[in-house]
Amino acid sequence: MTQMAQYWFSHPRSDAGPEGGDLRRRMEELFERASSAGTARVGIFPPVNLYETADSYVLTAELPGLRGEEIELTLEHDRLTLSGERRIEHPKDASVHRVERRGGSFRRAIQLPKEVDGEKVEAIYRNGVLRVRIPKSPEHQPRRITVGAS
Amino acid sequence: MTSETTTHTAPVHRPGEKQVLEREATRPGLVFRPDVDIVEQKDAFLVTADLPGVDERSVEVRLENGQLSIDASPGDAHDAAWSPIHSEYRTGGYHREFALSDAIDVNGIEARLVDGVLEVRLPKRSQAQPRQISIQTG
Repeated sequence: MTQMAQYWFSHPRSDAGPEGGDLRRRMEELFERASSAGTARVGIFPPVNLYETADSYVLTAELPGLRGEEIELTLEHDRLTLSGERRIEHPKDASVHRVERRGGSFRRAIQLPKEVDGEKVEAIYRNGVLRVRIPKSPEHQPRRITVGAS
Repeated sequence: MTSETTTHTAPVHRPGEKQVLEREATRPGLVFRPDVDIVEQKDAFLVTADLPGVDERSVEVRLENGQLSIDASPGDAHDAAWSPIHSEYRTGGYHREFALSDAIDVNGIEARLVDGVLEVRLPKRSQAQPRQISIQTG
């Protein structure tokens, strides 16, 4: 029904090496895309954006047409994996005039830049967009220092 | 009904990426061309469009002068306080339009938006539906 081969997936290198190197280069490695094997390079799915706030990372992904429970999300240390299958179904008796939407299995692995607190991850799926908030581990969070009056 | 009436897509487009339409003066921000499937059943056409990030209040399906148009304004993409560290997609509105054949029953068009996917059902006028003609013998 759907062609998984049409997607090319991220295959991040093995877990990040020693600290250092500029962030941009590291992020490019982390989100590295598989380009070999001669598969049709139709695009990565789902596309993701990663943001940073003072106390957490926020990952968003455009995944229209899935149910929240069809998306599998796992966090292992600081590596987040997003997988599932997008099924595109049309009535059996229908003749097809135009097909642009693509389905198939997907899997993305995202290495987060720093240690995170896996206990407090929050994920919501709304209007076809997944949003995952991953708090940084306490030692990477900014600390408020109370200034006492003398 | 499947003929598309606007094709002013920006020239640079990488496969799998959202296609940006040229800016229209009346609308600020980016406008994307959504991916669309069109299938035909005996009694209706079904148009399905991926509109991730859009809720039902900000999508408009219009029929005017034989054109079916889909417009959506951008949803709340991200908090301005978040600093982007990796970006694979941009957000904005969506626009697409198609010429309808006169075989459509314009009063019967239905649309619904579920999980960022818009489904529009365009029933055929009864004259346009295939009819089984029974052949009598003898």
